[in-house]
Amino acid sequence: MARKAKRDLTMEEQLARGPLDLPFLMLVLILLGIGLVMLFSASYYTAFRDSSPRVHNNPYFYITNQALYAGAGLAIMYLVSRVNYQHLRWMAPLMLVGSIVLLVLCYIPGLNAPINYVRRWLRLLLVAGPTYQPSEVAKVAVVLFFAARLCKRDTEKQRRFTRRTGTGRLLNWLEKIGFLELVPYGVVLVVVLGLVVFEPHVSGALLVAVGAAAVLLVSGISLGWFVGLGGVGVAMVGLMYITTNYVKRKFTIWLHPELVDPQDGGYQYWQGIYSIASGGLLGRGLGESNQKYGFVPEPENDMIFSIAVEELGLVGAFMILLLFSLLILRGYWIALHARDKFGMLATVGIITLLSAQVFLNIGVVTGLIPNTGISLPFFSYGGTALMIQLAEMGVILSISRQIPAPRKD
Amino acid sequence: MTTNATRGSHSKRAILHRTLFLMAVCGVAMFFPLVWKLWDIAIVHHDEYQKMATKQQTLEFSISASRGNIYDRNDKVMAMSATVYKLIFSPIDLVKSVPNKDEKGKLLDQAVYDANVAARQDQMVEELMALVPTLDREKVVKQVHNTKAAYWEVKVNIEEEDKQVFQEYITEHKTASYLYLITSTKRYYPYSGLAAQALGFVNANGGAYGIEAVYNDLLEGTPGRVYTTRTAGGTERYNAYAEYVDAQDGYNLTLTIDTTIQAYLEKALEEGIQEFDVRNGAFGIAMDPKTGAILGIASSPDFDPNNYAQITNDLLNSQLEQNKADIFQSLKANNTENLTDSELMAKAESQAVSDARTTQWRSRAIDSRYEPGSTFKALVLAAAFEEGVVDENDTFYCSGSVTIPGYPKPISCSKKTGHGRQTLAEAVGNSCNPAFMEIGSRLGKDKFYDYFEAFGMLESTGIDLPGEASLAGGMWSREKMSNVDLAVASFGQRFEVTPLQMICGFSAVINGGNLVKPYVVQSISTKDGTVIQNTQTEVVRQVVSQQTSQRAADILEQVVSKGTGKNAYVAGYRIGGKTGSSEVKTEEDRTIVSFMGYAPADDPQVIVLIAYDKPQPKAPGSNESTTGRYISGGNMAARKAGPLIAQILDYMGVERVLNSDESAVADVSMPKVAGLSAGEAEKALKEKNLKCRTIGSGDAVSQQIPASGTKVPGGSTVILYLGDAVPQESGTVPDVTGKTYEAARTALEKEGFFMRASGVSTYYSNTTKAERQSVAGGDTAAIGTVIDVRFFNEVDDGYAG
Repeated sequence: MARKAKRDLTMEEQLARGPLDLPFLMLVLILLGIGLVMLFSASYYTAFRDSSPRVHNNPYFYITNQALYAGAGLAIMYLVSRVNYQHLRWMAPLMLVGSIVLLVLCYIPGLNAPINYVRRWLRLLLVAGPTYQPSEVAKVAVVLFFAARLCKRDTEKQRRFTRRTGTGRLLNWLEKIGFLELVPYGVVLVVVLGLVVFEPHVSGALLVAVGAAAVLLVSGISLGWFVGLGGVGVAMVGLMYITTNYVKRKFTIWLHPELVDPQDGGYQYWQGIYSIASGGLLGRGLGESNQKYGFVPEPENDMIFSIAVEELGLVGAFMILLLFSLLILRGYWIALHARDKFGMLATVGIITLLSAQVFLNIGVVTGLIPNTGISLPFFSYGGTALMIQLAEMGVILSISRQIPAPRKD
Repeated sequence: MTTNATRGSHSKRAILHRTLFLMAVCGVAMFFPLVWKLWDIAIVHHDEYQKMATKQQTLEFSISASRGNIYDRNDKVMAMSATVYKLIFSPIDLVKSVPNKDEKGKLLDQAVYDANVAARQDQMVEELMALVPTLDREKVVKQVHNTKAAYWEVKVNIEEEDKQVFQEYITEHKTASYLYLITSTKRYYPYSGLAAQALGFVNANGGAYGIEAVYNDLLEGTPGRVYTTRTAGGTERYNAYAEYVDAQDGYNLTLTIDTTIQAYLEKALEEGIQEFDVRNGAFGIAMDPKTGAILGIASSPDFDPNNYAQITNDLLNSQLEQNKADIFQSLKANNTENLTDSELMAKAESQAVSDARTTQWRSRAIDSRYEPGSTFKALVLAAAFEEGVVDENDTFYCSGSVTIPGYPKPISCSKKTGHGRQTLAEAVGNSCNPAFMEIGSRLGKDKFYDYFEAFGMLESTGIDLPGEASLAGGMWSREKMSNVDLAVASFGQRFEVTPLQMICGFSAVINGGNLVKPYVVQSISTKDGTVIQNTQTEVVRQVVSQQTSQRAADILEQVVSKGTGKNAYVAGYRIGGKTGSSEVKTEEDRTIVSFMGYAPADDPQVIVLIAYDKPQPKAPGSNESTTGRYISGGNMAARKAGPLIAQILDYMGVERVLNSDESAVADVSMPKVAGLSAGEAEKALKEKNLKCRTIGSGDAVSQQIPASGTKVPGGSTVILYLGDAVPQESGTVPDVTGKTYEAARTALEKEGFFMRASGVSTYYSNTTKAERQSVAGGDTAAIGTVIDVRFFNEVDDGYAG
């Protein structure tokens, strides 16, 4: 198809060809670069020791794969950034339905790939790697779906019901307090969260909830709902703490790590702490971590940040945090300057998701919060996750293209 | 509220605020706790956590250094270390090696798992039994099921060639986590018991006795160290931070001891012990008198350092039972803990065994004192010469005893009837006590004491062997020494020194007057042969002048050629020496008989001291041993010392030089005289220093005895057959034992045999008696056979109190 001449373009098409937000792109690329280097450093011993047929003692196994996924992810990011994000408005409900279907598939034996009776993984419709988590797709689908619907709040009329019946009055009252408006979102959330939680994958559900909550918050939903739902959430965690040993134990390790035998439950926690402490101010130097030699569990995955601190020191860690901070701030800047409310809400949802992941991952590694099992964006190993992450960045870049140029008065 | 109100009734402002709020929280605020936490861990608690991290990451182990070898003076290996292996089994790790999950990663039922473990253990017992068939099955079963243990030495001292079998098994069955080999070292002494006390041995703590102990620090080297990081799996990581300190191998020692001389010395001791029925062992030293280098040092009973705890000596083993019984009796008499008889017996046994071990490990030539007896007279003689109180022309009268004021009884000479008037040389040769009491009194107490001190009798020699005996109480103090003490000390009684001190003092008399410091380690070298230290002779002091030494040596030579040391005589070697006998005060009927000899007299190469402790007397109080010999140094020790010295000199390549008397009886080759006329034959024989007698009549010699080329002692009378006379094929050898030299020779030659004499010098007196002959009397031998006859001189040099 021949490229249309500029004069033939509609207004929208012209806007969709605006310049990418260069600072945001650069930050993504820098973080991805650092992430790949750290992944190589952190993973090669693990890979070297892994004699499974998949890895076959190849020290370059993780880095080779991750680099390929990163390349593919960048291509996807570029393609997505070229797509006019307005198309996502109609795509969002389809994506949501698709992700719900994938989540359901997780419960079907044969299609899923359970590990220790946990059904988070699918071996169907593979893109990268042998399995992937449909919850990764669900996160972004929920955010886009919510953004696509909530952006229309301003034009949606409040519903009116007859005042003659009690039901009608009740409905009117519910509409007034904003409850009715929330029902479809609630239904979607209950379905998605339910499917994810019972995989079980609590941390995945947490991220879905955070993304949804961010979009809801910014869309202007009454703060009272957040207070109420937040209270319910805390109460549920409290209930789980009392009723299940699993959660209780996680809290014990978090609050009193010194009471837990390092060889037992506190092992991962303590190894992360040793790594960070070993780094000191300036670190051991790139590639010089001692802890990655089998001490830190899964150094290529959730614990990668502790290896990064050990090798690059506190200075390097702060640099990484600073880059994440700048990326997040730039993301919100794009949201604030987005051409329309849909772009804004989608950006806020995606960036909040990203920052939640950063916080939850590093918070776990440093012992700030209980162990949740959330990977660090751009750093942790995982092909599908990385590619989806980069695709999300592509969405933001696409949105950034349509930022109207500042008026020069 | 209008009916047109939209759901998103919030103002744009509120949305902006909420976005900015999220921006502030997610972009800035949430990083604060993370930064604080990182700071807290990496900086505030850095040291504390870092220490724990280092603890789990570091790997530190040592590399053992190989112990140095010990060589004799000719670089023959006397002690060496070899790598051996230990087979280690870990029951606890065997259990761990049994998987607790099935192939699908599902946890196994506890009962199934337990059954798997039990099956594996049973299998392991079989495997171990097959691998090391000598094991006790019951013990193996017990060890394999002792699942708390992680270390059981299945087999130790596995040598390199046997290691292969185990190594292959381990690799093949992948048992390395619970059955594996570790290296260790074993000390080998290729000469077994040779010089055992000097070498000592090595136990778990390193060198325990002898040179192994004294030079332990040098021999053992410094173990190396590896300090590196490790993986969680425990394997060593190779990186730039690793610290490798190489093991410094131990140094090699080259001794002054010569294994051949040592073997001669030990053989002489053992033979003497047999020959004289010696009950308390013996000791001997062979030394280079000029340098102080110990050529051999021996003590009997000895042991095998390869199995140092084992008691191999027969004498010691036979005494063990008796000692055990004695200890048992004394324990029983003093049984305060109310032990049972069997417990007491066990205690007594371990005590007796431990005593016996200590006895065999002791080097008596160094760590025990004895009264030197008459050997000490040499030192008194040298002192008297140096002070000019006697000279060679002095004569001494011996009536058999002397009364010294302050002592109630007369002090007698060994020859109770007295030696009569004698020259100085004769007095020394006779080992005459009254003569030496006279010489001692001429020296006076102070001078005597000065020389006593100068000859090193009051100080340890400083030899590089452990355990020199303390000298405390061995000698009177200068102030307390009385005239009686002086008198007895003049002939070597009533004070004690170590044999080593004595040999050093004696050396000073004959080597030109220098007291030298004895030593056993000649040089210390690295593994590659670089000598880092070479021992130089250390002259402690010059005690007497060169001239005095020469004069004393001349007289001491006559002790062997004519006097009490006659039995040490060996033709061709100028051996000098002095005999000694001393009774041990603390024990009845215990005499230490000794001989100190050196050769060649004009240029001493070797000095030998040998002593036998307690030749068993025939009856209590008797002077005669159970083997029928008069108990004295001259009759016993000298007899073994002479051949020993000759053997050593032969080995050292010192040529025999015969004097005129000796050459007269030296072997000559029988010329061919058959066919010559009787007159010509006689002339030819005379040239060869042979006499002849003729049988038959005629002018020409038809046959001759012995055949031409046969070696016969010079001066022998050969037989010429004239005319038709035919020699007999063989004859009966007469018994000549007990006969004098001349009588024996005549008797043998009469029957057509020849005599080759040995044993004593050519100065045969009528006390010289044939003792042994190579073909026993009454046996038949071919006519013309040369019979070796060993002569022996009964000497009066016994202990005389």
